[in-house]
Parts: sequence; structure tokens; C-alpha cells
Amino acid sequence: MMGKFRLQSFLFLFLVLSAAVKAQEKCSFDVNGKVMDQESNEPIEGAYIWIKEIEKGAVTNQNGNFNINNVCEGHYTLTIESLGYTSSSSPLNIHQNVNITLRLESKEYLIDGVEIVGHKDAVNTLNNISNVGKELLEENRGKNLGETLKHLPGVSSYTTGANIAKPVIHGMHSNRIMILNNEVRQEGQQWGGEHAPEIDPFMAEDISVVKGAETVRFGPEAMGGVILVTPPKLPVSPETKGSINLVGGSNGRNGAAAFSLEGGTKKLQGLGYRIQASSRIGGNIKSPGYYQNNTGMRELNFSAALGYNTKKLGMELFYSRFNTEIGILSDAHTGNSSDLNELIENGRPFSNPDFSYDIENPRQEVSHQLLKAKGHYHLNNDGVINVKYAFQQNNRQEFDKRRGNLNDHAALDLELFTNTLDLAYEHPNKKKWNGSIGLNLLQQANNNIPGTGVTPLIPNYDLLNIGLYAIENYIDGPFELEGGARFDYRYVDAARFNKDGELDERDFAFQNFTAFLGAAYSFNEFWMFSSNLGSAWRPPNINEQFSQGLHHGAAAVEIGNPDFVSEQALKWVNTLNYNRDRLRAELTGYYHKINNYIYLNPTGEQYVSLRGTFNIYEYLQTDASFWGLDLSTNYRIIPSLGWYIKGSMIRAKNLIDGTYLPFIPADRVDTGLIYENVKIGKITLSNLSVFKQQREPDFDLAPAPSGYNLWDISMSRTLFSHNKSVMKGSLSVNNIFNTEYKNYMNRFRYFTHEMGRNIYLLLKYEF
Amino acid sequence: MRIMKNKFSLVLLLTLATTLLSCSKDDPVPELDQEVITDVTLTFTEVDDNGNSLGGSLEYVASAAEGIELGGNLEIDVINGLESGKRYLLEVSAYNGIAEEDITAEIEEEADEHQFYFLGSAFMGNTSFMEYNYNDEDENGQPIGLKGFVTVDESLTSNNGQIRLVLRHALDKSFEGAENPHWEDFVQAGGESDLDITFEVTF
Repeated sequence: MMGKFRLQSFLFLFLVLSAAVKAQEKCSFDVNGKVMDQESNEPIEGAYIWIKEIEKGAVTNQNGNFNINNVCEGHYTLTIESLGYTSSSSPLNIHQNVNITLRLESKEYLIDGVEIVGHKDAVNTLNNISNVGKELLEENRGKNLGETLKHLPGVSSYTTGANIAKPVIHGMHSNRIMILNNEVRQEGQQWGGEHAPEIDPFMAEDISVVKGAETVRFGPEAMGGVILVTPPKLPVSPETKGSINLVGGSNGRNGAAAFSLEGGTKKLQGLGYRIQASSRIGGNIKSPGYYQNNTGMRELNFSAALGYNTKKLGMELFYSRFNTEIGILSDAHTGNSSDLNELIENGRPFSNPDFSYDIENPRQEVSHQLLKAKGHYHLNNDGVINVKYAFQQNNRQEFDKRRGNLNDHAALDLELFTNTLDLAYEHPNKKKWNGSIGLNLLQQANNNIPGTGVTPLIPNYDLLNIGLYAIENYIDGPFELEGGARFDYRYVDAARFNKDGELDERDFAFQNFTAFLGAAYSFNEFWMFSSNLGSAWRPPNINEQFSQGLHHGAAAVEIGNPDFVSEQALKWVNTLNYNRDRLRAELTGYYHKINNYIYLNPTGEQYVSLRGTFNIYEYLQTDASFWGLDLSTNYRIIPSLGWYIKGSMIRAKNLIDGTYLPFIPADRVDTGLIYENVKIGKITLSNLSVFKQQREPDFDLAPAPSGYNLWDISMSRTLFSHNKSVMKGSLSVNNIFNTEYKNYMNRFRYFTHEMGRNIYLLLKYEF
Repeated sequence: MRIMKNKFSLVLLLTLATTLLSCSKDDPVPELDQEVITDVTLTFTEVDDNGNSLGGSLEYVASAAEGIELGGNLEIDVINGLESGKRYLLEVSAYNGIAEEDITAEIEEEADEHQFYFLGSAFMGNTSFMEYNYNDEDENGQPIGLKGFVTVDESLTSNNGQIRLVLRHALDKSFEGAENPHWEDFVQAGGESDLDITFEVTF
């Protein structure tokens, strides 16, 4: 009797235990998913996911990813809600771990019974993208594009004095990166080291930097990365809004003013417009020990946009005009190499001028016009057609100190016309697939305006580029894969009179195939890893092919080679993201191999003329490699106090010679504390430490300058707000201690220091 | 709505049509390099202590027919006819053979922005044997250097030397030391060198 009871209880225990174990196995399933915008394929952050039956849910992170763990086997209903989107429900059957991809549709506005939908365009890429962001952009109003971007990790600036700054992505600039101004590739003699991009950051709502090869999407020359300057979306409602910005800076006694006005009309739903204008003025810049002679600048810009949006159709017409006059440090224009050597030995300009707003020769006058027309149509099968046409006209004049009335004649007078036509078809989104095919056409003509009295630096030329591409993207919950391929054909026809007075005509044809493959994986709600391998190519620039003499003002003779072949590159970018509670971190590592890399090599020889001697440089091709790391971290110490650290390092080598490449940014660390409080506003204290560039090329006009340390402080707050109008202000001090330093990336560093202290006041009124 | 759509697309089409026109390269136009100096002539005329001419002139030329274009030929005469203990009036003239311009006249027109300096071992250092003095001025009373006097020492410390002729443009003539024709640090006064020629002098 006793034994039977024991056996029964044992069996019972066994059954209960095994049932419990089995139940445990049946309730350990994970649901991993990704939520995206149906039209733009952008991830949606902060969407609510809810499994009604078990009352379990999650919120999507900045990548649109979510996890719900320990779900039992069964059939459920999953609901997804997000502000601005139509809620959706779908059945969820759990028999194993599940990956799901969900798409939400933008909510439709209903005004007077007519449906209005704002159309979204976005660049989705698995390459690392960094945004400047609305806040940081507003804090940098009044600065040029290069200055605004240099806060992003991996991005720096290649400058010629205080007023000319070219953005550098992972050590690459000029023709190795691309700038998209309102989706149009900026075409404006960008081959020149002293040719700054003709872009007004005031017209942008956000500026993003893609740090990887994007040739398949955008065409040749997007080798190191792409900068996207994005204006705000055109309004679709009739409400009139606007803003006024006023900026003043103590160094250079510079001022900037900008206004924008946007709205629509009740008579036609979906019609919107924006007009915007900005102006900057500055005088001589001050380094801690002296004023820099003739470093004033002027700028006047204007843009207007008109858009029309219905449910199926989005159209936009856009015009912008950029005008600038920039004074070049007069001491920088040296006659010959012995002049230059004396100046370099002195380490600073000989002159000691007072402050002045005057701009004299040497100076640059540049104007750039852009006209863009774009259409976006949703087909009945849910595919989308995109058509974009743009016309650009760039006029660049460079004036030198010349004798007599030639002083008023430009020594360089170039006019560049560019027409671009982009057609793309996005096939209907399937659950996990989206993709597009497209055609890019670029036609360009460059002319030297006669009458300069100087042999032109580059020839007149016609250029035609045709590109055909296809991109496909696969998303399965936390896993994403993307690939694409492109074929380009480029034809260039150049003509000029050579030194013997004979007409020299040459034409070139280039063909290239490029491709990329990218993947991203979210391990869980905190970790994400993405990797992108892309090939790119760049045909030689017209100046690399045709330079044949004195580079005025640089005391150098440059010799090009018309027989150069295209550069071929492969860039591999990897990014690891961590995001949890108080800590956000992002680490990017990249390797870039460029074959046929074109660079300017000092030959060590000198050219003797009646004007004195000049160093001879020639353009050569080699194989180069770049690799580097970017780190960006943000730690919230207490809710009102955050701490950030950003750092980057690059190593770039000429593989054939085994030497380091010139003008590669030195290692740097940027760190700061941000305190935010509803009453006080926001206070930021930051420090930038740039190390000495230890990896110097074999030849340079002077050794690299020492490293330096700069402190900045800024305070911003809302001054008043009433109904829909807001007035914000900020006060910043850059280089608080008026540190005297030289920047290795400044072409004028041999004989000039960087700007000293600058006290900066910004007022913004939005209505 | 429909009419508005049509009007809008018409505007779009017109804009497209007008901007697609005209964009192909122009034929290049040869530029005659102006301001370039292809010939520099030094004319030495023997004079007495009062500056009166005593005899014939000696001319020495430095020329580069192609200006500053690469591959050109630079020819500089050797100054071999000067004699010790004598005083000469030195006149400098400049010419642009490419655009056929008289650069000397242009320098005179903008005299306040130009000044010549006379350097090199002939004038400076232990083995110097010559001295130069300006004999012209611009509207501000400051020297130019198109005309001046060269005095050769009685006893020569060396049989050969160099005259380095520098023409500075847009300099600050009031800079301390600028009025000295043998001023080595001329770069400090700003501006650019339009000429920097070294002539060999032998006896």
C-alpha cells in the first residue's frame, strides 16, 4: 500500500515537473522586428508594439527595431501605433522565434474634405550616416559649410585661410567626395584646393554626411562620402510661417542676417512655397598676435521654392542663387620661391594692418545659380517614378594684384554650365523587399571668358556622363541586406591654345562598373552592427590632366598629365552602435584602397624665370590606402547633464613609395559637457584637442605645426514664446583663451595662425 | 484643379526648354599674356661726378621670349664691360614681347607701387665692389630705381660677382629700410617680385 502511493506520487511529481518544463520551452520565443515608413523606408523610432492577448509590448529604438521576449506559443494579434501614422494590426503566429518587418503608412491630412499627404524622400543607406541635426545647425548659423560640418566625427576641414573651407570626409575632399545641394550634385570647379563649395547653410534644415562609397547611387566621385544639404520640406497647408536670424561675431566684426517665409494658399490644397534670403559680411580676421590683411568677405544668397503635393503626385520647382566675394590674405600671394621661403621662415605675415572691411586684390568673386524641377508620381501598382532635372551655372573670377587697369581684370575667369537629368523607378514594396533602378545624365560645358590677359589654367571642355544603376534592399526584422550595381560612361572633349599658339584638342572616354554590398544586424534592442563594402571610381580632373605652368600666387609650377587613367577604389566601412538608457556609443572603422590615386608631387626641381625661381610640382599616380577609426559617445550623467566624447584618427599612405600622404587630418579628440535646464536653457563647455601630425610626407615646405587645445563655451535659451512665435538666443565664446595655434590642414599654415578668440551672438525669431 | 495642373506643367516645360539651350563649350581664344616681362635691359653710361655723360653706353639684356611659360629659353648677358674706379648712370628698361607692351612706361605710370632693389655679391658682403644710389622718385618723393648711379670701387676685392636685380610691386615704400637699394629684407615691406634676375659681373 505504501509503495503504490509512493510510485503514484512520484509519477505525479514527474508529470507536473515535465509539464512545467515543457511549458517553459513553449514560452521562450522571441519576437524581433523592424518598423518602417511605407513610402520612404525610413525606420520609425518610438512606435508602440502591443500583443493584446498577453499584454506585452515594446517601443522601437532609433533604428526602428524592437524585441519582445519570452512569448508563449500561440496565435496573437499584434498592433503597431505611432504618431503621424495610421495604426495597423496583423496576426502573429508563434511556433518559433519570429522576425517581422512592418510598414506603416503616413496619416493623411484632411482639410476641407481633400486628402493631403506630404511626400517623403530619404537616402537610405547601410553606410554610416551622421547628421548635424537641427539643433547643432542652428547653433552654427552664420558659419560656412566646412566650419559647420567639422563637429562630426570623421569629418574635418581643408582650409585656405580663414574664409575658405572645404569639407573632408575620412581624409578625402574636393573631387573625391560629393556634395548634394537639395538633391542636386554641386558642380562648381571643385577640383581647386582654394575653391570653397558655393552653398549657404542657412537654407538647410539638416545636413547629413554619408561616410562611405556611394558611387552606385550618385555617380563617379562619391568615393570618400557624400554630404547631403537638405532644406526643410515645403509646407502643404496654407498657414504662413517664417523665421529671422541675426548673427554677430567679434572676430572679423562679422554679421549675418537671414529670413525665410513659407506658406500655402487656401484656394489650392497641397500648394506650398518658401522664399529665403541670407547675407554675411566680415572684415579682417584677427589671430592672437595680428590682424590678417585683406581677409574680409561678403555673401548674398537667395532661394525660392514652389511645391504641389497630392496623394499620388509631388512636384517641386526650386531656384537658388549664391554670391560671394572673398579677400585672400595679401601676404599669401608671393612672387617667387625666395619670397615664399622668407615668409615661411618668419612664420607669420610681415604686415601688421589695422582692422578693415575693405577687400582688395587678391580676391575671389563667385556666383552660383541652381534651378531644379522635380516630380514624384505613385503608380497604380504602388511603384514610384522620380524625375529630377537641374541646371547650374557657376561663375568664378580670381583677381590678382596687377599693373595698371589690369587690376580690375580677373586673372582667372571661368564659366561652368551643368545640366543634370535623373530618372528613377522604385518598384512596389513587397513585405521584405524594396529597390529601384535609375538613370543619371550629366552634361557640362566649361569656358574661359576671354580678355583676362593670362593664359588659361584649364582648357574649355564639354563633358557628358551617363550612368545606369539598380539597387535592391531586403529587410527581415533585425537583419537588413542591400546591394547595387552601376555602369557609367563619360566623354570629355577639351580644347585650348598651347604655349606655341597652336590649337590643342583632345578627347577622352571613360567607362566604369561599380557595385556595393551592405548588411546590418540588430543583435537586440541595444546593439547594432552594419557593414558596407563599395567600389568607386573617379576620372582625372581637368587640372590634373592639363596644368602646365605657374599657379599664380602659390609660387609653384604645376605639371599635369593628360594620359592619367581613372582612380579605382574600394571602401569598407563598419559601424557598431550601442544604445541603452544613459549611454549611446558609435564606433566606425574603415579601410579604403585607391588604385591610380592622383596626387601632386614636389619634384625638388626649380624653374628659373625672369620673375625668379619656382618649385616644380608634378601630378603622379600611385596606389594609396587609408584606414581609420571614428568614435562618438554620449553619456547622460544625470537627466540634466550629459557628457560627450568624439574622436577620430586616419592613416593614409602612398603604397608605392611607402611615404605618408600630405594634408591628412591629425588625430583629434572633442569632448564636452552639456547642461540643460528649463529655466536656464542649455550650457555647453567643450574642448577640442588636435595632436601634431606625426605622419608627414617626405617633402613639405615646413614641418607640421604642434598640436593644440581649444576651449569653447556656449549658452542658449528660449527668450520668450507667445502662441506660435518663439525667440531664441545664444551666446558663445570660441577659443576662450585666445590660443595662438596653426592648423596642419590649412594651406596657409606656413605663414599664418588660425583665428583667435571669437565671441558670437545669435538671435532667432520664429513665427 | 485640372487647369492649374496643366498651367503648372507648362511652366515646367518652358523652364526646361530654355535652360537646355546654349550649353556647349566655346572655341578657345588665345590670350596674349599681359604684364609678363620678356626682356630686361640694363644700360650703363659712364658719367662724371656731376652726372654728365662721358661716353658710349653698354647694354646688357636678360630675356625669356616665352615669358614664364615652361620650356622657354632664359638668356642672361654677362656684364663684362665695366671698369674699376668709374661711375655709371644705370637705366633699367622692361618690355613685354608677347603683347608688345612697354613695361617701363607702365612702371612709371604706377611709380608709387614699384621699386627696384640691387642686391647680390657685387653690392653686398665682403667681396662687394660696387655701390648703387637711386636717382629718380615717384610722386611721393620715394625712389623707383629706373635711373640710378653705380660707382665701381678703385681697388676690386674680386674679379667677379653677381648683380641681383629685384623689382617689387605693391610694396610699402614707407616701411623702415625700404629706401635702401641694398636692402635684403625687401619681402618684409610686402608686395610681390615681378622681376628677380641674377646677372654675372666680370672684369
